[in-house]
Parts: sequence; C-alpha cells; structure tokens
Amino acid sequence: MRYLILALAMLFALPSTGTAGYREDFEKEFMTKTWAGEQVEENLCISCHASDKMKPEFKETVDAWKESWHAQNNISCENCHGGDPKDAEFAMSPQHGFVGVPQYKDVPEFCGKCHIGILSHFLESGHGKALKASRKAPNCVTCHGSHNIQKASIDIINEQQCTKCHSYERAKIMKVALFLIEKRIAQLEQNLQTLKQEGIYPEADEKSLFSTQAEFRTLFHTVDVNLIRSRTDEFTSKLDVIDRDIQATYRDLRFRKNFSAFLMLAFSGMGVIIFLLSTTKRD
Amino acid sequence: MWKKMKTWLDVRIGLNDFVRTKIVDYRIPKNINIFYTLGFLAVIAYAVQAFTGIVLLIYYIPHPDHAFKSVQDIMAKVPYGWLFRQMHVVGSNLMITVAILHMITVFLMGNYKRPRELTWLGGGISLLLTIIFGFSGYLLPWTQLSYWATTVVTSMPTAFPVIGDSIALILRGGDQVTEVTLSRFFALHVAILPPIFLTFMGIHLLLINRIGISATPFGMVDEEKRPLTEYKRKTHPDGYPYYPVFFQKQMYMMMAYFAVMFFIVTFLPNLFFPEEANLPADPFKTPPHIRPAWYLLAPYQLLKLIPNKFFGITIQMILLTIFLAWPFLDTYQEKNVLKRPILRGVFIFLLVMWVVLLFWGRNP
Repeated sequence: MRYLILALAMLFALPSTGTAGYREDFEKEFMTKTWAGEQVEENLCISCHASDKMKPEFKETVDAWKESWHAQNNISCENCHGGDPKDAEFAMSPQHGFVGVPQYKDVPEFCGKCHIGILSHFLESGHGKALKASRKAPNCVTCHGSHNIQKASIDIINEQQCTKCHSYERAKIMKVALFLIEKRIAQLEQNLQTLKQEGIYPEADEKSLFSTQAEFRTLFHTVDVNLIRSRTDEFTSKLDVIDRDIQATYRDLRFRKNFSAFLMLAFSGMGVIIFLLSTTKRD
Repeated sequence: MWKKMKTWLDVRIGLNDFVRTKIVDYRIPKNINIFYTLGFLAVIAYAVQAFTGIVLLIYYIPHPDHAFKSVQDIMAKVPYGWLFRQMHVVGSNLMITVAILHMITVFLMGNYKRPRELTWLGGGISLLLTIIFGFSGYLLPWTQLSYWATTVVTSMPTAFPVIGDSIALILRGGDQVTEVTLSRFFALHVAILPPIFLTFMGIHLLLINRIGISATPFGMVDEEKRPLTEYKRKTHPDGYPYYPVFFQKQMYMMMAYFAVMFFIVTFLPNLFFPEEANLPADPFKTPPHIRPAWYLLAPYQLLKLIPNKFFGITIQMILLTIFLAWPFLDTYQEKNVLKRPILRGVFIFLLVMWVVLLFWGRNP
C-alpha cells in the first residue's frame, strides 16, 4: 500500500519539477500584481498624466490627487473636469463634457457642481461678491488648494492665510464662533472611530454627523458671524442626538463585556467545582 | 414518577442495559490522560457551531446588498445576536485549534496505528472539512476582510496548470468574487458541508466504538503488537470506569473550552475582527495587507515562497496525502514517539515550519 502511495506521489512530483518555470508570466502576476480577482477601473486620464511623456507639472497633479480627500472618496478626474476616462478618443472631448482647467472666476461654479449648498452661500458672501467684482478676491482654491485637497477643518482659518487679503481680526471672531461646534464634531468623529474599532458599524450616526457637519460648514461660507451664532443651538441639539446614540452604544458594549465576563466566570467556576469533585473521588 | 419513566423507557429501548454497558461498565485505560478529551471537545465545538449557526441563519441574508447589513443588524439589533455571532466566530477558530491539537496528540501517542488507520483517515478528512467550513463561512459577512481573503484563497488553485483556472472559476462562479460566489459559499457552508461532515464524524465515532479506545504508549505494554488476523474489540477490564473518572475529565475540559471562548469574547473581542472586518466589501478598493485566515496562512506563505506555483501546490498536495495516509505508510510497530528519534525530529521540524510559515504569512 505504502509503495503505491509513494509511487503516486513520485508520479505527481516529477512532472512538477520538469515543468518548473513554465508559467513565468503567471508567476510574476501571482507575486507582484494585485490578486486575480481585483476589479481595476481603467482611467486614461491618470495613466496618460502619470506617463513619462507628460510635463513634470502635469505629472505632479496625479501625485497630488492621490494624496487628496477626493481620491480617498473615489472622486476622480472626470468628476470635476468631465470627459470620458475610458475612451482615449473622447477623453478630452467637449461633447463628453470635458471642461479642462476652469477660468479663475468660474472656479466656484466648477466646485459647486457637487458642493451645491456651499456655492450658494459663497456667492452671497463678501468673498463671493468680491470675486464677481475683481479677480483679486478669493475663490475655493485660495483656501482649499486644487488637486491635493485635504479634508476641511477649522485650521484653514489662520492668520497666514487670511492676511493675504485682509486683517485677521474678523476671521478670528469667525473662528471662535465655529470652535465649539467644530470641537464637538471632531470629538464625535473620534467616538465613532472608536466604535468601529470595537466592531460596531455606526452607519446611521456617521451619515447624520456627516450631513450636520456639511450643513454647518456650508453656513460658514456666508462669512456671517451673526448667522453662525444664531444657529449654533440648532446644530448643538442635532449633535446631542448623535451623542446620545453613541453613548447608548457604549453602554451596550459595556453590558456585553460584563455579560460575557459573567459567562466566563460561570464556566470557570463550574470547571473548578468539577475538578475539585474529581479530586475528592480519587482520594 | 421518575422510576416509572425509567421503567417505561427500559422495557422499550433497554435503557438500563445501555447505561450499564456504555457508561458504568465501560472501562478506559488506567494511563489515559487529559489529551484524550480533545476528540470529545471537537464534537462539543461542532455542536456549538451548529447551534449558533442556526440562530445566525434566521437573520442572515446571503446577498451582497444585504449580507453586511444583516450581520450588522445581528450585532446591533437582534437580542443577544452579538453573543451568538461572537460565539460562532470565536468558536470556529477554537474548533479548528482543537481539531489540530487532537490530531497532534493522536499522532504523538501513536494511536493512528493499526487497527486504527481508518479512524485516522476519517479524523483527517474531518479536519480538512472543518477548514473548508471556516473558509466558506469567512466570506458570508461580505466585509472587506472576507471579500479579499476569499479572493486570495480562491486564487490559490490557479497554481495548478490546465485545471487551476477551472477550479477557481467553479469556486467563484466567475472571474471575480461576486454574488454568485456568495451564494455558492453560503450553500456550501449551511447545506452541503454539514451532512458530509456529520457522516465522516459519525464514521469516526463508530470506528472508535468498534475498535475500542487505545491506551497511551507511555508506561504500559502495548497489546496491539499481536498479529492482526481477526476482529477483536480493544477492552480494558482492569481500567477505570468511564463514569465518573473520564466523564469528569470531559466535563472539566468542556468548561475550560467555554471559559476560553468567553475570555476571548470579553477581553479580546476584536481578535478575529480587524478593521477590515467592520467595513462592507468594496471590489474596487484593495486593502493594503490582504491575507487569508490564520489556518490557511502556512500554505499561502509556502505558495508565495516557492518560485514555481505548480511545484508549490504539488508539495502541498504530497504533504496532504502523506498526512492522510500516514498510518498506511508508517508500519513500524513502536507506538512510543519517544523511542523514535527520527520521527520525533521530523514531526517537530514540520510543526516548527508550520508555525514559522504562519507568522511569516501574517506579515505584509
């Protein structure tokens, strides 16, 4: 029997050594590329801009985008610039919505295709009105940058940035008005992250926090301190609801821990009793 | 009332005779040790998986649009759903651990030797089925972790020339892991594997019953050196009674098993839930470090290390064949592994290699 099994094993092993290296291409794919099942979306904008034939300043845009908040949220070139990233012929075709680089004054509308609420508040604000009147006024890129756009935070309002155009006094008052709500949002974000690490996926709270935050930041773009102050209570109560939900989840997690600890102790106790009983019997 | 019930059962099914022959008069070897309870523990572990699995099945929806959400609902909304899911996940890993430890101790005590070759084979196949159970259940929550781990594991058979791609295709039901894969794995996990596993476990237990429990090779004369010419059930007339001596050991180990399980649930609730296990599957976003579950890490790492994939998978197939057929290959009569330095050395080497490959495979 064992000779039969050994013979079969040899028969299986010999062709293996004989065919060593016959699938070199597969080997490279297996070891270096992502796994066979990955569904890769082809994007001609990225592959062309990242190629060596592109000027360095154009190549840099791809690297900058890769590090951005947009990239992390699957917002790609065509979402802002239009065009068809899957068809080389129409990749930069105006018929396919390609708009390329917008004019300085058109940047708010360019970004406002998605950030609709922010656009309307911005256009009504001092910043927006100034932009209509003069090219020297700020647009979205002035504060947020272009391709390497990071997740917005209160830190964008700073002396270095604001004093490029005017004094920091007014901006500072705005920052103070925003501070409490922003701090609370950051804290809640941290709590939600902790819940995720604990194995809870707080989708509803996450969505609610996201929409509250987006609404609050939309309001900020009016650059109207009085408006923000008057609506702070409204946002506080919205955040309270989310906070109560999170605290309830934490309480539930504590109960779970206590309950499973109780079960652990109960089984350990029963184990000890059985052990002591068995020792007594043997004696 | 109680006495009446016992009599009622006794005259119908011979309850007293059953209790006397199978429990009270059933003798076990005097030098039996705690490791003999591991087989019983594996049966308990399976029972826990079956029970908790049925509870989860009530709420789980095997569709990519609902699978993740339904599992989250089990964790958050179903009363004590979190407990059943944690028990199922922790239990699956403990079950594989117990089954591996059982095989190791049986090997070290030489209890696979004749006339127990078929018992070993049945146990070995049951272990493989347990691993397939774990692997098929891994995809069901449809998380980033489960999706990409399944992608990795279903890529492994492509190392076979000619038939490799077909095996992967059959497993996935397409080129990628999709809703078809989820349906297949769900069917495998809840409908196809359980009857197969129960059959093998039943055969395994039947063989243990028919052949009789074997003594450890340490400090006792091994009677099984006699020529094997006729069937004879191994008995231990001078041994300890099964009840209460061995039964207490089994109960003690069962309590320890549950204590360990709830220790993990209490103090290490995220041991089997890394960050990717709490995110819904996204076929367009590959996590930075994808790897299969721990029990498949060693073969996965070996496959990555050997330059030729076919050679890599061939070595694994040979090792697997040797593992299953070992009682037929090892006809040496000595059961005591302490008296067999070469076998002991090879075994320790393989065990160390397995552990090294496992930890190596964990690293990115």
